Amino acid sequence: MSFLLKYKNLCEEREIPNDDYTIKDLLNEMELSPQTIVSKQNGELVIEDTVIEEDDEIQLVQIIYGG
Amino acid sequence: MQCSKCGNPKVIYKREESGQILCKECFIESVEKKVIQTIKREKLLDKGDKVLVALSGGKDSVTTLQILDSFRQRNIIDICAVTVDEGIANYRQEGVDIAIRHAERLGIEHKVVSLKENYGISLDEIMQRENHKGSCTYCGVFRRTIINKAAREMGATKIATGHNLDDEVQGIMMNYLEGNTDNLTKLGAKTVSEAEEFTVKIKPLREIPEREIGLYVVAKELEVHFDSCPYAMQSFRGEVSEVINQLAEKHPTIKYSTLRGYDKIKNVLKKEMQKDYAHGRCKRCGEPSSNDLCKACSFLEELGV
Repeated sequence: MSFLLKYKNLCEEREIPNDDYTIKDLLNEMELSPQTIVSKQNGELVIEDTVIEEDDEIQLVQIIYGG
Repeated sequence: MQCSKCGNPKVIYKREESGQILCKECFIESVEKKVIQTIKREKLLDKGDKVLVALSGGKDSVTTLQILDSFRQRNIIDICAVTVDEGIANYRQEGVDIAIRHAERLGIEHKVVSLKENYGISLDEIMQRENHKGSCTYCGVFRRTIINKAAREMGATKIATGHNLDDEVQGIMMNYLEGNTDNLTKLGAKTVSEAEEFTVKIKPLREIPEREIGLYVVAKELEVHFDSCPYAMQSFRGEVSEVINQLAEKHPTIKYSTLRGYDKIKNVLKKEMQKDYAHGRCKRCGEPSSNDLCKACSFLEELGV
């Protein structure tokens, strides 16, 4: 079971490690603050509690930068 | 999970401070409504105003322009914009191009003013000098002066900046922690200077959290420049912001309560703490100044420009 992650210049297939694996779990794993990121699942904006499904395209957009 | 307002199951935002869950349409509407409420409550606009938007091409200024344009569409105000090109290689040009495209899309008067053309030196060149005072010091002063001049040249009656809730709360806390009571009196939704050369400044996004502005531009599919200034460094503002954001995790209303608390004491602060306005003029450029030289010109003298 895998999904496609797009973040800045990164575009990679990643495994879904467990059931009910959410975008929030992914952000924690990547050490990204949910406060600075908005997430899209298959092109549509979603909240971080969204569960990632097989073959999903998850795009993370950084909206807050320091300075 | 469904939208607290319309029941749509496609939700995009959970507002921690109120527990509200919103779909895209209701989220966009709620942000726009809140900005309009601020504008009305604080009397930021008068009919017939010509508002100069300080347009960098970033999310805050583009949102300011977008929402103020609804007032222009209803013939309440006119809008113009200025973009300051500080001269930062591999960074600023994208924002300038985006600003130009927004101005063209809306059909508004717009000008780009560069530090290099205006003062003969770019920020990159300043940063190559030894003993410089740090990029933000020059950038803030020069940008403010350029925007003020542009407002006069374009006949603007108000200058709108994209300051958001996070910026404002950081300003309140920083100035308090530094004991800078004079700067503390200058915050707020509307700043009116006694010097007639300084146009009234307004902050329509003052009650919108930075994160909501980021989500708003993505939801509205507005083109913005999302990037970090290469000169951004660990500043006191950054440290204060980190502390406030940590507190906000457990206390989601803390930014609003800080803002409201400040607004309650602002008038007393102004009465007791505001320094008397200096009626002098800068010997070099003629801008209002309490000293022989205004801040911008004293920097230029130091830089030998």
